[in-house]
Amino acid sequence: MTSLDPNSVATRLQVVHTQNSSRKRVAKGMFVGAARFVALAALLVLACASARSQERPYFITYTHQMEEPGSLEIATNPLFGTQRGGGNFLATWTEFEYGARGWWTTEFYLDWQSTRRDSALFTGFRWENRFRPLLREHWINPVLYVEFEDINGADKTLLEVVGHDGEADHAVPNSESRRERKREMEAKLILSSNFRGWNISENIIAEKNLTNSPWEFGYAIGASRPLALAARPNRCTFCPENFAVGAELFGGLGDRYSFGLRDTSHYLAPVVAWNVSDSVTLRLSPSFGLNGNGHRFLLRFGISYEISGFGRRVKQMFHGEKP
Amino acid sequence: MKTRARIFISILLTFIVTLRIAQGQDAGKRERSSVLSSVPTAVHTRPNPFEGKPEAVLAGRKLFERHCATCHGPDGEGRGRVPALNSDVVERATPGDLFWFVTNGNLWTGMPSWSGLPEARRWQIVAYVRSLRKKGTN
Repeated sequence: MTSLDPNSVATRLQVVHTQNSSRKRVAKGMFVGAARFVALAALLVLACASARSQERPYFITYTHQMEEPGSLEIATNPLFGTQRGGGNFLATWTEFEYGARGWWTTEFYLDWQSTRRDSALFTGFRWENRFRPLLREHWINPVLYVEFEDINGADKTLLEVVGHDGEADHAVPNSESRRERKREMEAKLILSSNFRGWNISENIIAEKNLTNSPWEFGYAIGASRPLALAARPNRCTFCPENFAVGAELFGGLGDRYSFGLRDTSHYLAPVVAWNVSDSVTLRLSPSFGLNGNGHRFLLRFGISYEISGFGRRVKQMFHGEKP
Repeated sequence: MKTRARIFISILLTFIVTLRIAQGQDAGKRERSSVLSSVPTAVHTRPNPFEGKPEAVLAGRKLFERHCATCHGPDGEGRGRVPALNSDVVERATPGDLFWFVTNGNLWTGMPSWSGLPEARRWQIVAYVRSLRKKGTN
């Protein structure tokens, strides 16, 4: 029978106790972390007291309206496209738009597509930033836009049309087109004006594939107006003030070596936006190819959900900051 | 490599110019005692086309709840660093001043520009904001 050294046992017990405490602390930390993650997810889904921002009705053209500081907008935008020489497709981008500052909006995109008689795949991501250099309203309000995208050749979201982009690019089977890697920088000069309820916006686009390709250029022009300028006193869903209609015109302008309209595609797209509630907006836009280089028909649909004060709530959650 | 360097330099310059312009405007603003003191005279004296129309106040309230209440509170009482709207400063401001401020915002400090809303709706919001003080006094 071995004798037990009381000091040694006490030390071991202390070590075991310390280890248990440490494990408990780690477990508690993990639990708190998980709880915060769940709470954050719940916040995203069930955010209450959301507020409607000034949602642009366009899909392609940007206006000078920035996301309100601290607000997060989550949107998904499926695009159905007809394809000659290939299967029709459904491409989708999901976007997370956050108002970092009053003059700075940042946005993250995830792109997917599914082609009939072919495959479905994730095609990449984009990260864009918009900066408003002039802090006051002017007749024409400039906004600087910078985007980095890491997508593959199978991307069919047509978020912008530049260079000699055309329908033929999308006829390639996914198994081949996905091998092409597109790491691109895109810059836009956004010019936008509001006049008598109308918004008129012009975007000049320059895009560069970082792997030794020439600069490509494009444009997007949009005009829109709400159906009613003044609001009614009562809350309503179908009243004209909740609808905005307009049109977009966008297309490519060639590249550095062949600038112009030759071998480029152009689209005309009427748009309609409906503010269903204070936080949800639906948008619909059929696009028609104006020449033989573009798709004959595209149909875009968008649903967006705005979480106002998202940044403040996250700060409260993690730092206990008072509202 | 040379092209990449050019791209990065262009982007960097764009960032710097943007920030400099924004900072310059902000510094100009700080010199003034109040943001409202920079309202152009023509706008300062503009009357609210919805003045004296109770339905405009109701419509303004609806718009306020939709766009402004998250930051300013449901009754414009203010929250944290967001100023109260039932204050003396707002009481002293003309409808034109408030309209100008709603239109331009103060992007550097976090107040967004609401120029995306049609002019009529901005005036309706002004009508409601002006009614807050009266409501508080009563």
